[in-house]
Amino acid sequence: MTNAPRAVLAANRAARLRDFAPLTALIVLIGVIAAFAPSFLSVSTMLLLGADTATLFIMATGLTWVILLGGIDLSVQSVASLASVVLAVAVSHVGGLAIPLAIAVGVVAGAISGFAQDRLRIPSFITTLAVGGIAAAAALVLSGTRSVPLPPQAAGAVGWITASTVGVSHVIPIALVILLGSLFAERRTVFGRWTFAVGAGEPAALVAGVPVGRVKVGALMISGALAATAGVVLAARLNSGSPTLANEFLLPAVAAVCVGGTALTGGVGGSLRTLIGALIVSVVRVGMTFVGVDVFAQQIVFGFVLVLAVAITIDRTKIPVVK
Amino acid sequence: MSGIAPPVLSLQGISKSFGPVVAVRDVTIDIRANEVVGLVGENGAGKSTLMKILSGLFPPDAGEILHHGRRLQLNSPLDAARAGIGMVHQEQSLLPNISVAENIYLGRETRFMRGGTIRWKAMRDAARRQLDRVQIAVDPARRTETLSFSERQMVELAKALTLEEETDGQIVVFLDEPTSVLEDAEMRILFDRVRALKSRAAFVFVSHRLEEVLELSDRIYVMKDGEVTAEMPTAEASVERLYHLMVGQQAHAEYYREDRQLPCGAEVVLRAEGLTLPGQYRNIDLTLRAGEVLGIAGVIGSGREALTRTFAGLAPHAQGKLTVRGQTVRLRSPGQAVRCGIGFVPQERRTEGLVLPMSVAANMSLPSLRRFAPGGVLRSGRERQVAKDWVRRLTIRTPQVETSCANLSGGNQQKVVLAKWIEAGMRVLILDHPTRGLDIGAKEDVYDLVRDVCAQGVAVLLTADTLEETIGLSHAILAMRDGAITQRFDAAPGRKPSQLDLIRHMV
Amino acid sequence: MSAPTTVAGPAPASARGSRRAAGVQLRGLVPLGVLILLCAVISVMAPEFSSLGNLRRLLSAAAIPMVLACGMTFVILLGSIDLSVEGVIAVGAVILSLLVANGVNQNDFGLVAVPLAILAGAALGLVNGLIHVHLRIPSLIASLGVGFAGIGVATLILGGSAVPVTDPLVQSIAFQRLLGLPGIVWIAAAAVGIAWLIQEYTRLGRWTYALGGGEDICRLSGIPIGRVRVGVFTLAGTFYGLAGALCVAQFGEGQALIGQGFLFTVITAVVVGGTSLAGGVGGILNSVIGVLVVTVLSNGMVLMGVPPEYQQGVQGLLIIAAIALSLDRKRTRFVK
Repeated sequence: MTNAPRAVLAANRAARLRDFAPLTALIVLIGVIAAFAPSFLSVSTMLLLGADTATLFIMATGLTWVILLGGIDLSVQSVASLASVVLAVAVSHVGGLAIPLAIAVGVVAGAISGFAQDRLRIPSFITTLAVGGIAAAAALVLSGTRSVPLPPQAAGAVGWITASTVGVSHVIPIALVILLGSLFAERRTVFGRWTFAVGAGEPAALVAGVPVGRVKVGALMISGALAATAGVVLAARLNSGSPTLANEFLLPAVAAVCVGGTALTGGVGGSLRTLIGALIVSVVRVGMTFVGVDVFAQQIVFGFVLVLAVAITIDRTKIPVVK
Repeated sequence: MSGIAPPVLSLQGISKSFGPVVAVRDVTIDIRANEVVGLVGENGAGKSTLMKILSGLFPPDAGEILHHGRRLQLNSPLDAARAGIGMVHQEQSLLPNISVAENIYLGRETRFMRGGTIRWKAMRDAARRQLDRVQIAVDPARRTETLSFSERQMVELAKALTLEEETDGQIVVFLDEPTSVLEDAEMRILFDRVRALKSRAAFVFVSHRLEEVLELSDRIYVMKDGEVTAEMPTAEASVERLYHLMVGQQAHAEYYREDRQLPCGAEVVLRAEGLTLPGQYRNIDLTLRAGEVLGIAGVIGSGREALTRTFAGLAPHAQGKLTVRGQTVRLRSPGQAVRCGIGFVPQERRTEGLVLPMSVAANMSLPSLRRFAPGGVLRSGRERQVAKDWVRRLTIRTPQVETSCANLSGGNQQKVVLAKWIEAGMRVLILDHPTRGLDIGAKEDVYDLVRDVCAQGVAVLLTADTLEETIGLSHAILAMRDGAITQRFDAAPGRKPSQLDLIRHMV
Repeated sequence: MSAPTTVAGPAPASARGSRRAAGVQLRGLVPLGVLILLCAVISVMAPEFSSLGNLRRLLSAAAIPMVLACGMTFVILLGSIDLSVEGVIAVGAVILSLLVANGVNQNDFGLVAVPLAILAGAALGLVNGLIHVHLRIPSLIASLGVGFAGIGVATLILGGSAVPVTDPLVQSIAFQRLLGLPGIVWIAAAAVGIAWLIQEYTRLGRWTYALGGGEDICRLSGIPIGRVRVGVFTLAGTFYGLAGALCVAQFGEGQALIGQGFLFTVITAVVVGGTSLAGGVGGILNSVIGVLVVTVLSNGMVLMGVPPEYQQGVQGLLIIAAIALSLDRKRTRFVK
């Protein structure tokens, strides 16, 4: 209530920063790399970058829905790994149906997290941590703790994912379809509007009659579905499923969402920003590899990029006590 | 009796504004040693701002605070503690999960430390001595949440009195609405203690329970609209006189658009029979007709807040029968209330009324979003058009319908809240302090709107900031006390009850 | 602006107070009851459970989670969370393994390296706390970032390989027996003792409870909230650093992923012990029981022939069950 004008001004300033900083950063990063290696701007490199970003982007898009609500999904990497194992194991039995089956497993994982959050009133970071543990265990049990290669007969059922048409890997159009679907859901559906309303002001959304619990479950189901989709794409690209396949994905995925400008406090952001965030993460990774930064040291950089992005984007008026 | 003593604490011309809102204006108050000063005023009169200034939470814009005649600068709660200013809050300021002794000495543990560790025995002994002085037999090692409410209040009192150990002069203890949740016997004990402790400290008793203020205080200050409007020895005060000073003179009938108060319809849209929520309200019977404004009058703790939230779907009733438009329901969620045609205009406009960061248009369409999305696809053009219509009809001052509600003034925000419910076709509106924090012009707009919706057959359940607002707007008024309805008043134009009529059944 | 409005106001209090008191006491005993029941069931189904050798194995397995829980308990008592556990363990382990006699370089500093590993943990905890407090971002994210950075640092130093430790003294920490129990168990017991003393007898410990109970009131009482928070995260890092050193002793090598799985185990243990994620309720002794529950359960599953890969899943269910049974849900209407 106090100093409303100043708070509003600060909020507007933060909003402007959130709006333009990510895109500017992306352009600057690409410019810097291109200055050192002009071939970076070639079509083939760009397509490769796109294909490499696709998996991360798909997972981060799902996560975006949960973060828009002010929650978090720590289960995405385990769910993706589980989906890859389900795909690898099931494809020899049911062929192409293994793909929807793997995605359905992700939906179920999200639904369990969601119901635990809504009905049992457990914060999402704990329910998803726990469900992540369950998913990891399921993947280990199902795979016999080993990596499961895709059988040769899977080429027809799964191979189309990684095939190319006129030099464009199919994972790029897959990611684009997911982007468009997510954008449509955000901007033109009741569920999308409800998501923003709950994230921006849960008490008011509740009073306005928004089914808050169902929205939360729905967002976690989307996150589970897209994490599983990312797992399927990853398995197709690596030609195997494994219980540790997506183990290094959680941090880059959270980083992609936050760097893109979706605030951890909810209500601000969206999948277009996440696309930019995912591209930044990819470009930074390429750039670091190019400069010779060790793959493992990149985790350090992402850790701090994440912290910085969150520090810039969160709306502190919504969390009087930062815990 | 203490008229000749020099003031322990003296406020000289204290003023404080928040943006354009003046919370406290030129307040001068003296608190002398060994006296109990009553401070009365309605919600929003500036009492709590004054107490926050004296707690060191924020500095006054103008004026000064004299402590035993010396100027006192309060920059933090610690400064206030060092000056011997203690607070006993209504929403208690004890941590539930630690022991009584720790609560009493919270933040001041240093003197019980030796070699980096806390000597529990010393702390508990010290705490026990303090508890003995307010005559309460509580083990200082007990977890605070295991105490009863009145025991905790005594612990708070003991905690405030330990400030003696910090300061040379006499201490001043503010009792902020201490009695509103106490049983009668518990209140007697508190009063006895305060009288007994007068020899050691000065007390400021802040309350709107006027009879209790009259009983306990030696001298009384009355605040209204941020100013001290009167000061008198208790001998010269009476409930009627104080109340009159607190609420000011009668407003004109036109102010509340009484000429536009139409007789209400016959259709009963909401009926409660024997509605009960233990600890909050009991045996509530009421009927609400189409086009009627039903006011509920009662002090804090009368149960009217919980009753309001029951109809909004935020606090389901435990027993009794609730019928909304012919259907018996128990409202478990606001979503269910909305489906029954009940819209809630909450007191917390900025958190519960509006999704503040979202646009005017998005807020207006939120409860009826499905209607804007035939086949599941939002028609944002239609949404914008509808919002524009409302902006024009209600003269909402906003640059665009895409503007975030955070950028609107309070009055315009409230109009958006009302527009969203009218747009959603609600048949019942629950208005919870609908004019809180609004300036006079905006208030009048809200009154006009209330008359408009009633003319269209919407029923309104009103809990208002002031009694005069309740009287002016309502067709009928229910007075509540201690969780029960004590009297029903008819309030047709020209036959409105007086404030004193209502007060008699409220306190 | 304002906290979510609670519907249930202060009700007629005396009856409610005493009923609540009884509830608090009963609830405190539940984890202990679960532990006893668990032990009873397992020893019936797998009689070798109660053999001396198995009990020794059990306590050894509980040692490292116990040391970690000493740190994590304070963080959760604040109402915060610390996801940096595995990263800090990695840094502590790698530093220790590279400073004592090992198979990679010529260093041989002996047990002097142990305090250095602990110090490194404290430093990471300090960074964690400073980021959380001074950038004002939730501890969830600050510690997620610091944890990954820790694993990155450890991997960077080692280049992804493992360092075999040849110093016999380090090994002896884990296996040298004293009064029939391995050294690591005694170290864990000492850590619990220290943590308990800090919790009960220092201002840091008491203020941790106070902050968990309500930060606004603490601010009014003049408690240096930021310093307490930074202090707690530093303390937690110290314990994780020690745990990293113990990992080296137990596994005989140092590597970046040496701490994998411990985060999950320790959060489960603390929560199952009855320390509330909302802060302010629980403590070290709760965590001792929690760690024992988790360890007995996994030990029992091994004895009953359940493959180890089921562990994480069972722990996941355990977390949800423990919280669902313990949270005072009336107070948390808006769950993010």
